[in-house]
Formats: sequence, structure tokens, C-alpha cells
Amino acid sequence: MKGLLLKDLYNVRKQILWYLAMIVIFCAVSVFVRNSAFGATIGILVTVSVLLTAFAYEEKDGWNRFVAASGAGKWAIVGEKYLLGLIFAVLGIAAYLAAFILIRDYCDWLDFVLPVCMQFLMFAVTLPLVIKFGTERGRVYMIVAMIAMIVILIFALSLIPEAWGATPQIIAAVSIPATVALAVASYFISVAIYDRKRC
Amino acid sequence: MNKLDIINLTKRYGDFKEEATFSVPCGAVVGLIGENGAGKSTVIKSILGIVRPDGGRILFGGKEADKLTREERQKIAYVLDDTGLPDELTLKMLGTVLRNMFPTWNKGRFRSLIASLGLPESQPLKEFSKGMKMKAAIAVSLSYDSELLILDEPTSGLDPVVRDEILGMIYDYVSGDGKAVLISSHITSDLEKLCDYIVYMHGGRVLLSEPKDELLEKYAVYSVDKKILPELDRRAVVRVLEKEYRTELLAYREEMPQGFDMRPVRLDDIMLFYSKGVSL
Repeated sequence: MKGLLLKDLYNVRKQILWYLAMIVIFCAVSVFVRNSAFGATIGILVTVSVLLTAFAYEEKDGWNRFVAASGAGKWAIVGEKYLLGLIFAVLGIAAYLAAFILIRDYCDWLDFVLPVCMQFLMFAVTLPLVIKFGTERGRVYMIVAMIAMIVILIFALSLIPEAWGATPQIIAAVSIPATVALAVASYFISVAIYDRKRC
Repeated sequence: MNKLDIINLTKRYGDFKEEATFSVPCGAVVGLIGENGAGKSTVIKSILGIVRPDGGRILFGGKEADKLTREERQKIAYVLDDTGLPDELTLKMLGTVLRNMFPTWNKGRFRSLIASLGLPESQPLKEFSKGMKMKAAIAVSLSYDSELLILDEPTSGLDPVVRDEILGMIYDYVSGDGKAVLISSHITSDLEKLCDYIVYMHGGRVLLSEPKDELLEKYAVYSVDKKILPELDRRAVVRVLEKEYRTELLAYREEMPQGFDMRPVRLDDIMLFYSKGVSL
């Protein structure tokens, strides 16, 4: 898996600085305007962009066939993409956390937890779609899913504590394990899709 | 023991069914020839695990291919027709990636190969010519310990000088103990120089699987007058090809009577007669 990850990092090396700059800028905007939405969403955008870029390069290069013949195995081949997404998700989350700490007086702590969950949900949705449909079609389906998730995030942030009567603790207690479970399920689904594509 | 055995390997694409049976003996170079769409690449992809066949068996060193461990699978080196190597990486980066993918990766051997092939280490592969990319792919395949080298159209579109270099590398590889090569190519002149065995696929099936020298000795191409065709022994004539000004036969040398205008057969002729010719 290390070799596969290195390959993807080398492939996106020219874009990494741009991605990191966008994370920093959006989080800075969140601090200046005292609104968590900017920092909350950039992590989602960067994580998904990195994954799409990595897949696009692989399709262009025909790397999928090379790695399939290398004996790397479906679990490692698919797992590496989840690891790549996780790395950039963590970077985005770390930057968002720094921004959130600075504006915590203007936000609810759920404003941090839910976007982080959304970030993992986003790549849990993106990866099976791209593995199944390829980069071009997967990108379209992913955009639809992303818009839907951002709308849900904004709507949930404004409504959940008051309208549902649920405490933030309950919401977090449900969201976090649900996100983890969905991410794990996504991995197994992706491996199954990848394996079927060999036919 | 054979290095590779393909036994009734089948793959269906809609109504088209491919079926192949042949072997790659230890120490041998086996050439896989056939026109476009004959099934050569599908056979190679099935061996490499890129596609899943619908039936049949693939044995590597006597072991079922789908039961090979990762270490055993990596004893099969390969060069794909489009290389599959990442264009954005330099050879130096690629070496780092592959060192972490192949436990038997030999960094020194890789650097030595790319130096001897005149390939730049610090230039991204997207700036390489087609010949340079293929040389890089072959250098990759020779840089970890393997017992079988499989090449899918490695010299297609390359100039004679580069082709000769590549054939030399393949020849050096198979000179090692217990190694074998399976090479698919349209450039039959390369295979005539290099191969010990020829497997000819046509319409998804293996029509011939024989030692090259025996194959080229067994057949000959005869130019005849169309009028004498009914007088010929059907058992001697394999295929008849009507051309504009003459009729040519692919026939068994030993069965044909003397006195006909005859020339030695080439692998090209075998492909042409089987794909365009008819039975007598």
C-alpha cells in the first residue's frame, strides 16, 4: 500500500500546495467573517478533489491494469484510496479545528462535529461512485451527492437543536458512529465493485 | 515442467467466445501471434489477473494462478502494450514507488538498466517518446526477480534500432536459468528471430502451437495455376489464397509434389492464409 500511496502523492504533488493554500484561505475567511461554513466546506472539496485527480491520472495512464497485475490485491488497491482521502481529510480537519477554536464563541460545537462527519461521508460516497463509473461519470454523480450533502449540512446546522429537541450530545453520539459505520461499509462496497470490474 | 500452462482458457464477450490451450516451457520464448481481435491480449490479461476468465485453468509452475500468493504472483514480470506507468512521475520517483510494491525490487539493477538504455532519471515519463516509455517499462519488468516475462506488443510502433535493443534484452532475460518468455506481437519478423515456439490464435482459438523451426520447415507457399487445384491432394493443401494474378497455396512441403514454384513460409504467410484463405 505504501508504494500505491506514494504514486498518488507524486501524481498530485503539483496540486498539493494549491490544495493546502485553499484550506488555509477558506479557514482564514471563516475566522474573519466568524462563520464556520467556509472552513467546514473546504475540507470536503479538497478531499474529493484529491481523490478525483488521483483517479483521473490512473485512468489516463492505464495504471489500473499495471497494479492489478502486480499482485497488490484488491483490498490494498482500494484501501490505498481511502487512506489517501483520510490523509487529506485529516489535514482539512486540523485546519478547520484551528479556525474553529478561534471562532468558538460564535459557533456551536456541533458546527465542528457535523462537517467533519460530512467530510468522511463525502469520500465514503465518492469512492464507490468513481470506482464504479470512472472519473467522468463518477464526478457528475459525486457533484449531485455533494450538493445534496452541503444542503443537508446547512439545513441541519440551523434546525437540529431547536426543532428536533435532540441534545447536541445525542446528535454527536449518533452522527459519529454512523459516519464510521458508513465509511467502513463504503470500503467493502468499493472492494466488491472493484472485484466485479475484473470480469 | 512447463513454466506456464493454459488449459481450455475461455472468455466470452457477447456472442464471441475465446478458447485457448498452450504451454510455455522453461527456458523458451513463446510467440503469440494473431490478427487484431484474435484474443491474444485477453489471454495475457487473464494470465496477469487483469480480467477474470470464464473457464479453464492457468497454471504457473504447476500451481493454479488464482491461488498464487503475492510473492508467487510477482514472479511473473510483465510489459503491457500501453505500459501503464504513471506519466507524471520521473524514473527516480517510479523507482521509489516500485521499491515499495515489489519486495525483490533491485534498485541498483534498475538504475543500471535505465543508464544503459540512455533514459533520463529526472524527466517525467510524459516527456518520453514511445520507444523510451517502452524501454522504461522493460527496465521495470527486469528490475525485480521473476521467472516468467510476459510482453504484450512490446515493439509495436518502434523503429528497428529500438526494437533490436528490446529483443536483445528479452534474449538476455531468457538466457537465465529456468526463465521463460511469452511475447505477443504483430511484428512477426521479430518473433521469427527470437522465438522457440509459436502459438497462432485466430477467431478466439489457438490454431497452431508448435516449435517455430518445425513450423517454418513444415509448410511452404506455392504459386500455382488455379486450373490445377482440383488435381491436388486435399491433405497436402492447408489453405488457398486467390490473389490478383495468381493463386497461392499454403501446403505441407513433404506432401506436395515437386515442380511447383515454391518459397519458404514466413509467419506472416501463415496468418494471412488462415485469415484470408479458404480450404481446398
